[in-house]
Amino acid sequence: MSLLNVSNIGIRYGRLTAVRNVSFTMAEGEVLFITGPNGAGKSSLLRAIAGVTAPSGGRIDFADHDITGKVPEAIARLGLSMVPEGRDVFGSLSIEENLMVGTGMHAGENGWRARAMAELEAVYATFPILKERRHSQAGLLSGGQQQMLVIGRALMTYPRLIAIDEPSLGLAPNITDQVYERLIALQKERRLTLLIVEQSSTRAMMVGGRMMLMRGGEIVLDGDARALGKSEAIEAAYFGYGEQA
Amino acid sequence: MSALQIMFDALSLGSLYALGALGIALIFGVMRLVNFAHGDVIAFCVFALLWPSVDAIAIVFAGNLPWFLLIPFVLVMGAGLSVLCEFVVFRRFRNTNPATMMIASFALGFVIRYFLLMLFSSRPKSISLLPELSQPVTVLGARIPLLQLITILVTVGVLVGLTVFLRRTRFGLEMRAAAENFTMARMLGVRANRVIMVAFALSGALAGAIALILGSQTGTANIVMGANVMLMAFIATVIGGMGSLAGAVLAGFLLGASATLLQALLPPEARAFRDAFVYGAVILVLIFRPQGILSARGMKERV
Amino acid sequence: MRQTSSLTILRRTVSTPVILILLLVAFAILSWAVGSRPFNQTVIDILVQVTLVTGLYIFIGNSGVISFGHAAFACLGGYVIAWTTIKPMMKKNAMPGLPDWLMSMEIGWWAAAALAALWAALWAGIFGAILMRLSGIAASIATFAMLAMINAIYSNWSGVTGGTSSIVGIPIIRSVWPYLAVASLAVIIAWAYSISRHGLILRAARDEPTAARASGVDIPRARLIAFVLSGAVMGAGGAMLALSIGVVTPNTFYLGLTFTTLSMLVVGGMGSLSGAVLGVLILSSLIQVLRWLEAGVQIGTSTFALPGGVQEIGLGVVMILILMFRPTGIMGNRELKFPWRR
Repeated sequence: MSLLNVSNIGIRYGRLTAVRNVSFTMAEGEVLFITGPNGAGKSSLLRAIAGVTAPSGGRIDFADHDITGKVPEAIARLGLSMVPEGRDVFGSLSIEENLMVGTGMHAGENGWRARAMAELEAVYATFPILKERRHSQAGLLSGGQQQMLVIGRALMTYPRLIAIDEPSLGLAPNITDQVYERLIALQKERRLTLLIVEQSSTRAMMVGGRMMLMRGGEIVLDGDARALGKSEAIEAAYFGYGEQA
Repeated sequence: MSALQIMFDALSLGSLYALGALGIALIFGVMRLVNFAHGDVIAFCVFALLWPSVDAIAIVFAGNLPWFLLIPFVLVMGAGLSVLCEFVVFRRFRNTNPATMMIASFALGFVIRYFLLMLFSSRPKSISLLPELSQPVTVLGARIPLLQLITILVTVGVLVGLTVFLRRTRFGLEMRAAAENFTMARMLGVRANRVIMVAFALSGALAGAIALILGSQTGTANIVMGANVMLMAFIATVIGGMGSLAGAVLAGFLLGASATLLQALLPPEARAFRDAFVYGAVILVLIFRPQGILSARGMKERV
Repeated sequence: MRQTSSLTILRRTVSTPVILILLLVAFAILSWAVGSRPFNQTVIDILVQVTLVTGLYIFIGNSGVISFGHAAFACLGGYVIAWTTIKPMMKKNAMPGLPDWLMSMEIGWWAAAALAALWAALWAGIFGAILMRLSGIAASIATFAMLAMINAIYSNWSGVTGGTSSIVGIPIIRSVWPYLAVASLAVIIAWAYSISRHGLILRAARDEPTAARASGVDIPRARLIAFVLSGAVMGAGGAMLALSIGVVTPNTFYLGLTFTTLSMLVVGGMGSLSGAVLGVLILSSLIQVLRWLEAGVQIGTSTFALPGGVQEIGLGVVMILILMFRPTGIMGNRELKFPWRR
């Protein structure tokens, strides 16, 4: 049984087509990288899955619910947590407040407060720097710390799937390494399903897992990241060789 | 007039402006809407106490309730109308640009105002609202109207209450998050409709509070009575830095203080122009600080 | 190289003002042919509104900044008419504080209207120099503060403006032609500005502010030019309004006027001169029908009348609905053109 099922999704902005007829599925616990050049439609696809952009056609199912055209909060409540590009921390809120925003959707459930507190401690254990600065304003954190904060913030909603848009954007390589290290450790520990969008395929090949390459709004390659990395097909697909010749 | 009296005047006028600015800033925060209908919601709250009639004499209806029922009644009327505006009109403007929303609210304000005109005519009517409050009390040697004291205390109470609500409750946290980045908050499960609804309800209740104060202070019901407070509230939100609640409140008090000081210091023949001087001063402030005295901090520090 | 010379722009766009003015001329001729007094007054009202809304369009349409303050310029213009056309004897009673030279002045309507436009333009220049540095919502609110400020001054400066009481005695012009002339002039000015270098620059800055700033466009200055020009047209419009009703009070030129002019512009389409004129024609017709219903209609033996206020409520509802379903107005950004010019 697949957790996420995207079928024939198309996204248009006015006359511009960003994504055409994209279909794929993800199983529970899978790590999927979507890579591809600027303007390939990766972010648009992610935004459609999270409910921020309405697709112009097709259907998205998540955890046995049709979520096509649903509002973002409804999708989040099903356990799909989105970490958008540019990190989007709530800059004027403290770090702890940032982490707590997403716990509200479970309010009223039995023992939700205790569970939230336990989760907060777990996030702090994973990212000690966040605990250290828990009361300072999130806007004052460095880029890498903010990335950790938004991952922690997504975890606080007890997601089944985390979708992350460009986690390495604007980070130094060694910081990116740290972020990925934690992310993959978390994934293994909790059997999280991860959908990661990155421009470059290198990271996917390093981390491993499944990789899809998008170009011009379509999926042009789909397979095991490491296996794809060894083939020449990837370069050709990325730059679109052999099409215009 | 003693300095103490001037201070009380400044604080009570500032309170009025601060309450108004808060009502504008709350809605602006979550939806980027400059609500031009706010002043008409204030007027509506006063007229809610009267029975519809175009006669010159007000037929007091709900206004005869004892104070402990009257006050909640007015607050609920304000919150109700405000939520209704959201539900019927503003909900359909969620994805449009702020300028379009602003014009729509301007039109909605006119609809409310002329609805009142239709029911009550445009003539001001004298009413006696909470007359107990007009008797003077002596505070620290200054004789001031009880209403002034209550206005200040109520405002302080509202500010403390709102701060606690925003800082200490889960819902307040969700509202602050939504005010800063609405889409992100929604992606964390914050329910957009609920947050906006609560913002409108709070803003409407604040309009009700202003209506009670203005009604008891002036003793009249007039369909344009909210316009001046609304304009000052707009100005306060602009110079407070759009979207900053603390800035709006502070600027509201600042406007109240400068208006009172001008009233006291200007030569008698120029006093009628007090408000014109205040607007002029505001325009001057904007030359030097176009982003407001206190610009919203969260917005700037975002990397 | 395909460089668009100013002559081609002129040729390509000139049909718009021609059509609009022909439309206005048709109305004027109709009223002259019908010869009924109330209809004549209706057409005059429409022509005055065309002048005002066109004035508003010059600024809002080209800059994209919503102004709630333009009624203030109409106010400035309207009072110039009161100062310069009322008989000195009557002025002495109503406005005793006028300086002697103004007290004794009694000039013709066209000179007075030109003075009104200049006076409004002067103040538009002074306020604009400050306000045009702001942008977006802050600018809109600041224009609103300007309106309130001018209204507060005119309501309280009793010696010169008569305070809040009505100033009567303005010689009313009942002929439709002067109003036609001023409205047509307003349309020509608006069109000429929009195809001028300044107008093109400002519209480019409206659509692509970052790019415009990067290519060295001084946006506040470009906006200021539009603000002064639209202030002048608004002043002339206020003057014609005063001449058409013969009475001025500060509240003639306050929120009510702001509301009607803005709603006409929004309904017609804020980005289009044709929209501004059509908005006036459409909403004026609606207002006429509602006014007629408010006055009462005989159906059989019973009279059916809507209560007062329905007119404004109707206007407000139409405005909200247009914003909801067609936010760019009836015309959007298009203009009326002769088909063969494309």
